[in-house]
Amino acid sequence: MKSKIINMADKTSDAMDRLLASAFKSEPIADDGFSKRIVSRIRRRIWINRLALPVAVLVGAAFALKPAVQLVSALLPLLNVVPVEIASAPMEFLPQMQLIVLGGMAFAAGITLLKVLEET
Amino acid sequence: MVASQDAAAFGELIRRHQSQVRNFLRKLARDEALADDLAQDCFLHAWDKIHTYSGTGSFIGWVLKIAYTTFLQSKRKSKRYDEILEQAGHEMDRAAVTQQNAPEVEMDLDTLLAALNEQERVIMIFSYACGLSHREISEATELPAGTVKSIIHRAKEKIRTQFEIENHQYG
Repeated sequence: MKSKIINMADKTSDAMDRLLASAFKSEPIADDGFSKRIVSRIRRRIWINRLALPVAVLVGAAFALKPAVQLVSALLPLLNVVPVEIASAPMEFLPQMQLIVLGGMAFAAGITLLKVLEET
Repeated sequence: MVASQDAAAFGELIRRHQSQVRNFLRKLARDEALADDLAQDCFLHAWDKIHTYSGTGSFIGWVLKIAYTTFLQSKRKSKRYDEILEQAGHEMDRAAVTQQNAPEVEMDLDTLLAALNEQERVIMIFSYACGLSHREISEATELPAGTVKSIIHRAKEKIRTQFEIENHQYG
């Protein structure tokens, strides 16, 4: 008797499940470029992420260049009070600093270019 | 392959699962355009979080969890959602009245969902529209599996009572 009740309950439950499954059933939605749109958005985001650091470096360097030059020119007269042997070292180093900054920027640009070529 | 952030491979996963995700969100949001926008956001979030996918559960279960979170976030933020829901509510009420006046008409989803509260609606959609297991629903909704089972049971009882479905009717 007990098993009969359980079987009846299962049968009812199955029937209810079938009814619900048919009510919730929906037709598949065609892609129609949906996935392509998302992939292109993802690629765009990858690009933005890749370019963010080099662009930030370039912008930062552009902003920092003028104050840095002013600072160096302000400090230059002070070098007269420093002995010649000590003063000559940074004087030689200063032109190299610009080269280092430019080299860094060129390096960042080169890395970005390589990534671009790799991606395409 | 996807874990190494391969956009093309991820595109293939989107192609495979977009229909299920969009259908899920359309049932929740009751607005096709809004649902498709949410589906796009969902896949973008999935891309950002792909490194957290362990590969142990089903991918669709994992994406649907993200879809549900995206839906909840949008609901909290968007006024548009409230407007749509209000409109959908009126339509559901109308559908329910029509259903009561014509019981022989086949039960449609709007009518059926109108009988349920939001939590029951979400769990029933997960279960019957998406075919997720109780464990997957439990993970997606962050509810204990026992609670999910009892909510499904309660929702089915509500539907059975509301629409006067006799035990023999569909047996």
